[in-house]
This record gives sequence, structure tokens and C-alpha cells, in this order.
Amino acid sequence: MSLVADKITLNRPKQSTDSMDSDSSEQARPLIRVSDFDFFYGDKQALFDVNMEMMENEVTAFIGPSGCGKSTLLRCINRMNDLVDVARIGRGTIEVSGANIYDPQVDTIELRKRVGMVFQKSNPFPKSIYENVVYGLRIQGINRKSTLDEAVERCLKGAALWEEVRDRLDTSGLSLSGGQQQRLCIARALAVEPDILLMDEPCSALDPVATAKVEELIHSLKDNYTIVIVTHNMQQAARVSDRTAFFYLGKLIEMGQTEQIFMSPNNEQTEAYISGRFG
Amino acid sequence: MSEADDKNRYNLASRRKTFLGLDKEQALKGLFGGNALVSIVVLALITFFLFREGIGFFGQYRDSLKLYRSSGLEYVEIMNEQSAAFSGLTRYLNSIREDQTQLLKEQGLAFREIKKVQARDNDFFYGFEDLGYPLREYVLEKKELAIASRNAYEEMENLKVFRSNLLAEGRTEEAAAVSIVELDLSATVDQIRSGREEFLALNDTIEKELEALLAEAPTFEAASLNAKVERLGELTRMFIAEMEEYENRLLEWDSTQSIGMGRAFVLFLFGEKWVTNSSIQDWYGLWPLFSGSLLVAIIAMFLAVPLGIGAAIYVNQVAGPREQNFIKPYIEFISAIPSVVIGFFGIAVFGQFIRNASNWEALAWLDVFPLAERLNAFTAGCLLALMAVPTIFTLAEDAINNVPKAFKEASLAMGATRWQTTVRIIVPTSLSGIISAVLLGFGRVIGETMVVLLCAGNRIAIPDFTEGLGVFFEPVHTMTGIIAQELGEVVHGSIHYRALFMVGMALFIISLLINYVAQKIVIKYQISRG
Ligand SMILES: Nc1ncnc2c1ncn2[C@@H]1O[C@H](COP(=O)(O)OP(=O)(O)OP(=O)(O)O)[C@@H](O)[C@H]1O
Ligand SMILES: [Mg+2]
Repeated sequence: MSLVADKITLNRPKQSTDSMDSDSSEQARPLIRVSDFDFFYGDKQALFDVNMEMMENEVTAFIGPSGCGKSTLLRCINRMNDLVDVARIGRGTIEVSGANIYDPQVDTIELRKRVGMVFQKSNPFPKSIYENVVYGLRIQGINRKSTLDEAVERCLKGAALWEEVRDRLDTSGLSLSGGQQQRLCIARALAVEPDILLMDEPCSALDPVATAKVEELIHSLKDNYTIVIVTHNMQQAARVSDRTAFFYLGKLIEMGQTEQIFMSPNNEQTEAYISGRFG
Repeated sequence: MSEADDKNRYNLASRRKTFLGLDKEQALKGLFGGNALVSIVVLALITFFLFREGIGFFGQYRDSLKLYRSSGLEYVEIMNEQSAAFSGLTRYLNSIREDQTQLLKEQGLAFREIKKVQARDNDFFYGFEDLGYPLREYVLEKKELAIASRNAYEEMENLKVFRSNLLAEGRTEEAAAVSIVELDLSATVDQIRSGREEFLALNDTIEKELEALLAEAPTFEAASLNAKVERLGELTRMFIAEMEEYENRLLEWDSTQSIGMGRAFVLFLFGEKWVTNSSIQDWYGLWPLFSGSLLVAIIAMFLAVPLGIGAAIYVNQVAGPREQNFIKPYIEFISAIPSVVIGFFGIAVFGQFIRNASNWEALAWLDVFPLAERLNAFTAGCLLALMAVPTIFTLAEDAINNVPKAFKEASLAMGATRWQTTVRIIVPTSLSGIISAVLLGFGRVIGETMVVLLCAGNRIAIPDFTEGLGVFFEPVHTMTGIIAQELGEVVHGSIHYRALFMVGMALFIISLLINYVAQKIVIKYQISRG
């Protein structure tokens, strides 16, 4: 692969490689648990009996051919699918740190504050960079200038964008390049201090350099956040994730340590997909 | 393979059929380009004809104003104003009497007894009123003189035109037979002005008598009547002070002072009177019509903007698909109702309802209620709002719908509520689209004719904005209404005819401006969305 990819692999923080060598599943605590999950769009079933766990402070990658339900499952985790009129759950639960998020008592607003989301196409608001970052705070009624200033700097630094935009926080978020916009969206998601970040193909619209930056960012975020990322890029999944889940036709086919999935998949469909024979 | 075959296979020369030297693509292009061209040409023609018919107005209006001055009518009009001011005083005077009658009636007095009580003050009341008669008579006499000479002058002018037409056709004998008596207007003016001493003497008497009457003004038992008498005294003293002004104006007046085109222009644009078919002088001032149109439009927008935008936000952001499918066609259906039907509804149902409602006890705290007029600016404004709502709704809904879904999703994914998302993201992002929707709705309202003609009350007067809320319930006339009402009856090419074209012109310019601004805003909006 490209030099960039190599660099990323090399840059990998030591401890994560270590943890992968040792049996990490023993140390890692599951933060998201999906059990017996069936999901429908109208009459069409999009997910079939999905069972999986995503560990705290790890990166989990969803891979699989187009239309297999990766985005659907991701959007179920912060209940963005509630916005789709025909969407409904057939069976099963999703738990975030032990609480069923589809419990009628759950407040989706609170849930979404804890489970942030970054979309495939960068979508900064048509506001200034500053206002984009503090949006999540403003809607919570936080308007103290010092708090906001501090959050802007912290989040933009967290999203590795601070150095590039510190002199022009007043310019429109839309004036940034595609890669910068995507990092701005990540910064915006960080501002509400979520525990979990869901990323749906965050790099699909970016060039290799911008992609490398975002991947680097994902790495550094892993210490503080639990990340679930959907990607079509096998190398990306291999580079950034600790665990990988392979979906096919709405079913979870195989899930395991990323290295295991890529080096010695147990399922032949997984192998076929990874080696590029279909999908 | 033969050589000919080879050639055939690679023959790329055009084999398209042509018609009138155009192939299919060119013909299609011509057809659609032609359609676009037609609309541009039509717009240009409309502008051209409006201009051509209207622009002669200023010349004619200036001539008319000149004649108004040179015939001395303007001079008479100054005296007339003073006389009218005195009439105003007598009206107030009589209202005191009426109030007194009312009070006495409430005390249970019979008609004859009331008369008896009032007889005490007859000297004051009748004496006051009688003071106006000589003045009025004097003015009337002079007015008739001026009008007669003005009419004679116009007759002479017409005959002159007639004769020169005959001459142009070569009918010299007939032309010679037309006898024209040259008329000297200055003679009439002198005659009118020679009565100045008499007028001053009249004024002197009025002043003295008024002061004498006020000195022994009657007092009543009721405090309200005494207050009115007091007020009458104030008004009268104001009138006396003004008399001097009238005299000065008469003194300064000069029949030969010229009137420029600019004066005609200003009198049209800012003139406060629109008076036609008057025996004295016609006035073509846009102001009462413009302010009427504006007042009605403001009322309409005040209602239609929140309704239209609110409905757009609701339908796009809150309503489910079933509700959307129900509400949208219904609102859009309103624009399919012919405006004459809405106007008819306004007269027959809504206007009546408003007036009935104004009599309700519950609304009595509004000092403008109960209403005297069934048809007024408010009635028309409400109905126009009904017509503007679909325009604003449809365009605003489009603008809101154009906000990328990604913005909404991003906002919701941050834990924003639906309401926060709407207020902080959706509306600001579509704001320019919404503003242009409002502007186009305004254009629709300003240009609407039938409803205002039927429901606005058609009184040509500048709304009295000092009335507070009451101004909304005054009958008004509008620019569109006046054209529809009067254009059918005017003589082609007359000054009145041209004046109406100028009103149309003004309307046209206003609409163009509104559309231009709306488009500018939309363009800016598209850029900002990048
Ligand atoms: N809003 C929706 N309404 C109805 N069906 C939908 C909707 N969204 C997705 N689907 C269907 O659900 C299935 C899974 O879609 P999903 O978007 O989760 O796939 P995906 O794995 O993310 O694909 P891709 O890699 O192309 O993004 C697809 O068959 C799709 O047609
Ligand atoms: Mg997807």
C-alpha cells in the first residue's frame, strides 16, 4: 500500500499493539452490546439476529458489501433510525453500558449526547468554524464565553485542526477543504464530550492525505473514546481498528480481532470478501 | 470487403434530415429559444406601452395646472379653503347642540321643552352660523366666474384644434367659418381680484363678530358641554389666526407664475388628492392610493407571514407524511380560488362578520370598536392574507426543503431537539429563501386587484395614521383598485386616462423592484450554500 498507510501502521501507539498481542478481550470491558437484533424498514428486513459487543476504548470496524446493513446498525446505536418513518425493531436489544437504549424511558436527546456521530459526507453547518464547534454546547444552554472558547480550542486540538484554523475561527465552516471539514465535524461531535463516536465512512470523500490525518486522529481519540467505524476500505479497517465485524446481507458473519479477521478468517465468505473476490 | 463498404462504414458525414434548413436539434432549440424570446418581447412591449400611454400625462397635467392658475381658480380655491375651514367650525358648533339635545332627552324632556331650553342660546348658535353665509356666497360667486372663464377658454382651445385639423385636411372654407373669440384670461383674473377689498372687509367683520360672540359664549350645566364650548373657542381663535395667512396667500398669488414639469411630477407622486370629474380642478395625486395599497398590504403581510412561514415549518419539519399530503394541497388549493370569489365572500360574509364582531361586549375594550364601515382596509387585508399565504407557504416550504438533510441529521445527532434544530439550523439556513418568499408574497398582495376593489371600501383618502389602531379600519382605495374602477370610463387619451396609466406604471415599478430584490436575495443564498 501507499507510504501513508505504512506510516500509519508504524505510528500506531505501542500499547494498542501490545494489548492486541495479549488477550485484550479479557481486559476490555464491553460498552455496547447488541443482542438478537432484528431490524426492518417497512416489510423489508435489514438486520437479522445480530449479536455483538463493542469494547470500551477500542475501535470497532464494520465491513461488508454495500447494502448489507452496516449503516443501519450504526444508526441504531444512537437511534438516528427513529427519524426514518418506516423503520422498526423486530426483536432484540442494544445496550450501552448496560442500559437498553430502546427502553421507552430512554431520552434520545441524552443518548445522542453520549453517542456522537460523524457522517460519511462532511456536513458542517453554514456557520463559522467557532459556532460549528460550540453548537452542541449552545443547545445545552451553555453560553459562557470562556467555557466556549476553551471548548473550541480543546476540540479543535482534539480533532487535529487547531493549528490550521486558529487564525480564522470566524470564517464559514464551509470554506474549509473536504478533509478539514470532516475534522471540523469530528471536533463538533467531541464538544459534547460523548463516550462513543460512530463514524459512517468518514473518509470516503477524502483524498489519501486527508484520510491519513483522520485515521491518525482516530488513533489518538481511542484513548478517550469508544469508536465504531464503517468503512469500505479494507486497509483502513486493518490500520485503524482493533476488532472487525463482517456483515453480509444483514447478518453478522464474523467478528473478531482485526488481525485474526484479516490474517485467518474463520468464514469463507469473510475470506472471499477480504481478498476482494466479491463485494 | 470492398472499398465502397469501407467508405460507408466510416462515413461520418451528417445524414440528419433538415427542415427549412434546420436539422431537428436546431429546430428544437429554435422552438424553445423562441418561447423564451416571446416572454421577453412581451415584457418589453408592456413596458413600452405603459410608458407611451403614461408619459404624456405630465405635460397634460402641467397644462391643466397652468390653466387652473391662469384662470384664477387657484385664487378662488384659497378663499374656498378659508370658507371650508369656517364650515368645519360650524359643524363643531352644531355638534354641541346635538349633544345637548341628547342630554336633555336622556333627562326625559320632550321635544318642545328641549327647544325651549335651547332657545336661550339661539343668538349665539345662529349668530355664529350666519357669519359664514356672506363669505360662502362671495366665494361661490367668484368661483362661478372663474369656472365659466376656464370653460370658455377650454372651448376656445378645442375650437382651435378643430380648425387646425380642418386646415390640415385642406378644408380651408370650413376652417374659415369656425369663429373663435379670443379670450383673455387675465381680464377675469383681474375681475376676481378686484373684489379683494370686499373680501378683506368680510374677514374683518367675521373676526370682530366672532370675538364678540365668544365673549358671551353660553355656559351649560353639563361639564362635557362646557368643555366643548371651550374647545370651540380654541378652534375659533385658531381660525382667526389663520385668516391672516389666507389673506397673505391671496396677496402673494400671481397668475403668471409659471408651473414646471417638476411641479406636475411632484404633485403626481406626492399629491395628497386624487379628485376626478370635479367642476373646479382635477387632482391626480398618487399618495392616497399608494398609502391605501400599502396599508392593506401591511395588514395582509402581518397576518400572512406568520401563517405562511409557520405552516411551512410545520409541514416540513413536524408533520408526518400523511399530514403533509393533506395540508399541502389544501393550502395550495387556496390560490386556485378566483379572487372575485374571495372578494364576494369578503363582502357578503367576512365584512359583515367583522362588523358584527366589533359589537361584541368582549371586544368593547378596543376603542376603535364598534366599526362604522363594513368594508375597510382590515377586511381587505385579511382576505389578501388568505391569498398571500399559499405563495409564502409554497416558496418558504421549498426553501426549507432545500436545506440539506445532512444539517438536520448532524444537529439531531448532537442531541439537539427537533425544535432547536428548526430554530438554530433549518430557519437560519433557509432564511434568505424565506425572505424572498415573503417579498414575493408582498408583490402578490400589492398587485391584487379584485379583492381590494370589492372589499377595501374605496374611499380615496390618505389613511389617518394619528388614529392609532383605528387606521386599520378605515376604508381606503388602492392603486390597483382605482385602475380597475376608472379605466373603463375615461376618455381615451384624456389626462385622467394617462394618469391611470401612470398609476399602473408605478405599480409595475414597485413589482419589478420587489422581484429584483427577491432574486438578489435568492442568489446570495445559493452562493452562501456553496
Ligand atoms: N431509509 C431507508 N428506507 C428503506 N430502506 C432502507 C433505508 N435505509 C437503508 N435501507 C435498506 O436497508 C439495507 C441496508 O442499508 P444500509 O444503508 O444499512 O447498508 P450499508 O451496509 O450501509 O451500505 P453502504 O455500504 O452502501 O452504505 C439496504 O438494502 C437498503 O436498501
Ligand atoms: Mg452505509
